[in-house]
Amino acid sequence: MSAPETDIGIDPPETPHLIPPPPRELKLLVRDWRRGRATKRLGEALQDAYVAVIAALMLGAMVLNVILRAQRTVSGCTSGTCLSSRALLPFAAFTAAVAVALAVSRLFGPVLASAAEGFWLLDAPISRFAMLRSRLVGIVLAATGGGAVIGGLVSALTGAGVHGVVAWAVATGLSAAAAVAFAAAQQGIERHRLTRVVSYGFGLSAVVALLAVVGSAAGWVRLGISADRSLEVGLIMIGFSGLVLLVALVIAARRLRHIRRTRLTSGGALVSGISGAFYALDLGLARDIVVERHAQEVGHVTPVRGRSTGLEALTWREWQRLRRFPQPLFVVLGTVVIPYAAEALGMAAITPVFAALALFAAMIPLFGGLRVLTRTGGLARCFPFSLVQIKIAVSTVPGIIAAVWAVLVAPAFFAFGNADGRTFAEASTMAVATAAAGLLAGMRWTTAKGVDYAKPMVATQAGALPPGLIANLFRGFDICLLVTAPMLLGFNPIWSLVIAAIAGMFLFNTTDLETMQARQAEQRKLLEQQRKQREATINHGKQGKR
Amino acid sequence: MAKRVSVLKVSGLRRAFGPNTIFDGFNLEVRAGEAIALTGRNGAGKSTLLRCLVGADRPDDGTIQVCGNPMSETSPEIRRDVATVIDDLDFFPDLSVVEHLDLLARAHGIVDPDASVDAVLEEVQLVPQSGQLPGTLSSGQRRRLALATAFVRPRKLLILDEPEQRLDTEGVAWLANRLKSERQQGLAIVFASHEPALVEIVATRTVELGAPRG
Repeated sequence: MSAPETDIGIDPPETPHLIPPPPRELKLLVRDWRRGRATKRLGEALQDAYVAVIAALMLGAMVLNVILRAQRTVSGCTSGTCLSSRALLPFAAFTAAVAVALAVSRLFGPVLASAAEGFWLLDAPISRFAMLRSRLVGIVLAATGGGAVIGGLVSALTGAGVHGVVAWAVATGLSAAAAVAFAAAQQGIERHRLTRVVSYGFGLSAVVALLAVVGSAAGWVRLGISADRSLEVGLIMIGFSGLVLLVALVIAARRLRHIRRTRLTSGGALVSGISGAFYALDLGLARDIVVERHAQEVGHVTPVRGRSTGLEALTWREWQRLRRFPQPLFVVLGTVVIPYAAEALGMAAITPVFAALALFAAMIPLFGGLRVLTRTGGLARCFPFSLVQIKIAVSTVPGIIAAVWAVLVAPAFFAFGNADGRTFAEASTMAVATAAAGLLAGMRWTTAKGVDYAKPMVATQAGALPPGLIANLFRGFDICLLVTAPMLLGFNPIWSLVIAAIAGMFLFNTTDLETMQARQAEQRKLLEQQRKQREATINHGKQGKR
Repeated sequence: MAKRVSVLKVSGLRRAFGPNTIFDGFNLEVRAGEAIALTGRNGAGKSTLLRCLVGADRPDDGTIQVCGNPMSETSPEIRRDVATVIDDLDFFPDLSVVEHLDLLARAHGIVDPDASVDAVLEEVQLVPQSGQLPGTLSSGQRRRLALATAFVRPRKLLILDEPEQRLDTEGVAWLANRLKSERQQGLAIVFASHEPALVEIVATRTVELGAPRG
């Protein structure tokens, strides 16, 4: 018996000592290829899109004009509300910008690469530092610009002077950039817990700052912060953010060379998925992609035994899902502030609209179960219930939360701020109607079907569009406006409840709209068969006579 | 020998996409204890037919009856009797493998859901993955979970579209024996497959769709 082949020693083949090209050369090569295939120069493309360019310029000028006018008007205001807003809102924008920058960075990378780059470039023995450093600098610069716009805008709209606007624009821009650099440094060692904790901390600070503005406007607290002190705080934030940015950027750059390919391409895949969903204006799909990514990150959970049987099992499971990931509940609780803030700031007439829109946005994550059960139909088919029953079962928990929300915001509508003359019953009805608007809008947004490109297109001035493409953008907002319109126009809020009830009936029965369509199709088939039978009988009779 | 009960009756089914007719005048009757294998080349219309049978697609003509009732995907009675594994099955991203099965067993009113779920989980070899979220499962494991959703609940008719897809050799052998056992216990089965061994072991009748292979 001969010895197995594995026992024979074989040396690996000699690999030739090749010197890989610098990434810059590779990038230039790719750019040359792309340019070689381009059919237009940038100037030509802009000439072709001159309508869009002029429209953007005009719109930009108008927005700038509105901001400057608002800034001049608000800067004249010396009431306690205006002063506290001027002092605190830029700080709230600053902390919110950091929280958002950290959250978005953690979601996407922040340093990322497309799947093609991952396969073709990152597989080669080239320096990742050299390849990715310009990308890191690019996203940090983008964050600086975005943060500066937000910071400048908020401080301008609160009536701050030029120095204040510039200081807070720079501070917010630098802080957003520092947040991105910090997240990139954490990405380099594949740790995200600290990024998450810092993000929550800054988010909480933003909420506290907003609450302080509301409390000051309502006269609950007296804030002795002057505009000068606000400017000083802004300057301190510039120094602090700049220092953090510098340190984080150096650390992030040093860690770029060790960053794993999967950590780069996963963010790229997410971006391409989300951009595809946005291109189809399918916001639901974009959210599904993010939710799926989060679930993949979590990966494993401790299983929890269900409760009860039948439809109740579905409702209990929704409650258990919420207990597992309770963050959406905190967001709903956060929106309780909105009607109080709106009333305190003297915007009583539009409080229901603002509050309903805020609740609508906060309710969407609570309808995760409804989304999964309605987006394809495959899972719902496994359950021995009608779709109406399933919808009711999985909407029960969000419904209870909306009811609690109505109770919590009812005082905002009654004898708070400028809400003089409202009876308790009227204020309670307004709170319930506003909660119903937010709840139903969330439900409508969640159950939106993706655009069906297989259906006949509709001819528009913008070209052929599939039906429902644009309407999908307004789903949910339409319910908010429809239900709150009577309150906005000063009618009895009972009318809002009536509209909400009708909208609810439609939303819960959409399914059975499909059943009705199926029945109609069946009836049409039956009528067609009867017609054919009658024709056959007549023809048979005629042949008999011949 | 007593005549077996008719579970599925399809008469004169027609489905066309534009000028392309997928099938026309298709008739089929499946009785309890029968397993029908749909075979045919890619694009022959197997999946389209199965989608019509489960109510996920609407035929242009013809009727489908399940246990004497007209097929309606929204009917709770039909959902109670028909277990399906076709490609449109979705999962809750934040519920683990075992929680999906537990929810389904409870929704169907199974008296001892824990025991049923444990047994099925053991059978599909997903015990180590019981706490995992569906997004982290491999494609084969997701297939096993999809099959488990059909076996953890009561059923009279089982409709499966290429159930052997993404299963390893051992998994296909297990599936064949499981489906054979289901059929012998009186379940009616309609399945599409490209796996000759599965068709051989499970099917009592084979229906070839589309033009025969040349």
